[in-house]
Amino acid sequence: MTDASVPSQGTPHEVLAGLGDLTRRVRAAQRGTWFPLLLLGALTLGGILVSRFTFEVLTVPCPAGDAATGGGCTLYRQGSPVYWPIGLALAYAATAFFYIRRTRNRGVGTPVRPYVLTGIALVGLVTATAFWSFRHGLVRPGDPVDLLGLRLDPTSGATQFLERLAGNATAVGLPLLVLSWVERSRALLLLTVVYLAIELVPLTTGWAGISATSPWSALPRFGVPGLLLLLGALGFRLAELRDRRDVS
Amino acid sequence: MTTEPEQHPVNGLDDVVHQRVRLGILTVAHQARRVEFGFLRTALGLTAGNLSQHLAVLEKAGLIQVEKGYEGKRARTWLSLTPAGGRALQDEVTQLKRLIQQIEQGSSAPES
Repeated sequence: MTDASVPSQGTPHEVLAGLGDLTRRVRAAQRGTWFPLLLLGALTLGGILVSRFTFEVLTVPCPAGDAATGGGCTLYRQGSPVYWPIGLALAYAATAFFYIRRTRNRGVGTPVRPYVLTGIALVGLVTATAFWSFRHGLVRPGDPVDLLGLRLDPTSGATQFLERLAGNATAVGLPLLVLSWVERSRALLLLTVVYLAIELVPLTTGWAGISATSPWSALPRFGVPGLLLLLGALGFRLAELRDRRDVS
Repeated sequence: MTTEPEQHPVNGLDDVVHQRVRLGILTVAHQARRVEFGFLRTALGLTAGNLSQHLAVLEKAGLIQVEKGYEGKRARTWLSLTPAGGRALQDEVTQLKRLIQQIEQGSSAPES
């Protein structure tokens, strides 16, 4: 870098513009957005395999009004109750460690603490909500959804939205919003909005040609957001390398 | 009853802060919260001696806090903004914005 990095001794306009330029350079040195996106993307894609290998077909007693079926109702279950809480907690811990190392190596502090704390707090909340729902065992078809004491109609659109909200949209999406704010990154904000839209919009698996009862039914549900996060990680990493090349 | 004439923004500028290198140091420290000597030297394009002199002025004025330590065998100096330093930087930016406003109002006012 040259001495031009120091705010110029010109008009107040020039001095303020110089300070703005300096602030942008510091922000660029602080950012490490690609790393949490890489971890979250890998974790999300890992969810496909976890869902595949935990896929089960169960026969459970049918709801009272559905007694005609006689032999019971078929229930498809997949997913591990510990994969997401442990995976996300480890991802946030690894992100904190990455940013601490980066601070030491680059000599500039990073404002990542709010992101990590928000992430861990929301993972705790989402996990508590999930354990509350399943504390009496598997929910049978037709039973009301128990969301922290609220007994909701499972067929209602609002309940389905709340169920989607009480998942990765909260545990991954909201912390990413915090990261885009602390890193003052419009690109990350845009990526997060797209991610939240994918997580919150009701998507069926039909468009991917995979039946909802297939062991691979989680592929589109995790594949699309997972690939989005990994592509975001790649884009931010390339942008960071380009910025470093321009500075040196 | 008389009213005090409003002070010109130039009089509100603090000489310690207004110096361009020191303003740069405060800006970087404000954004980074904690910044290492080497990063600051590179970011501002200064020699170590020159930067040390400016840091001494800011530390003496109570605007920054300097911590010296070791990471392994490597000596490292970290600095952070004090609350007074944060306020001083904020005041400086406010005065600069007022100056710009006055200049713009002056240039747009009709000549008598």
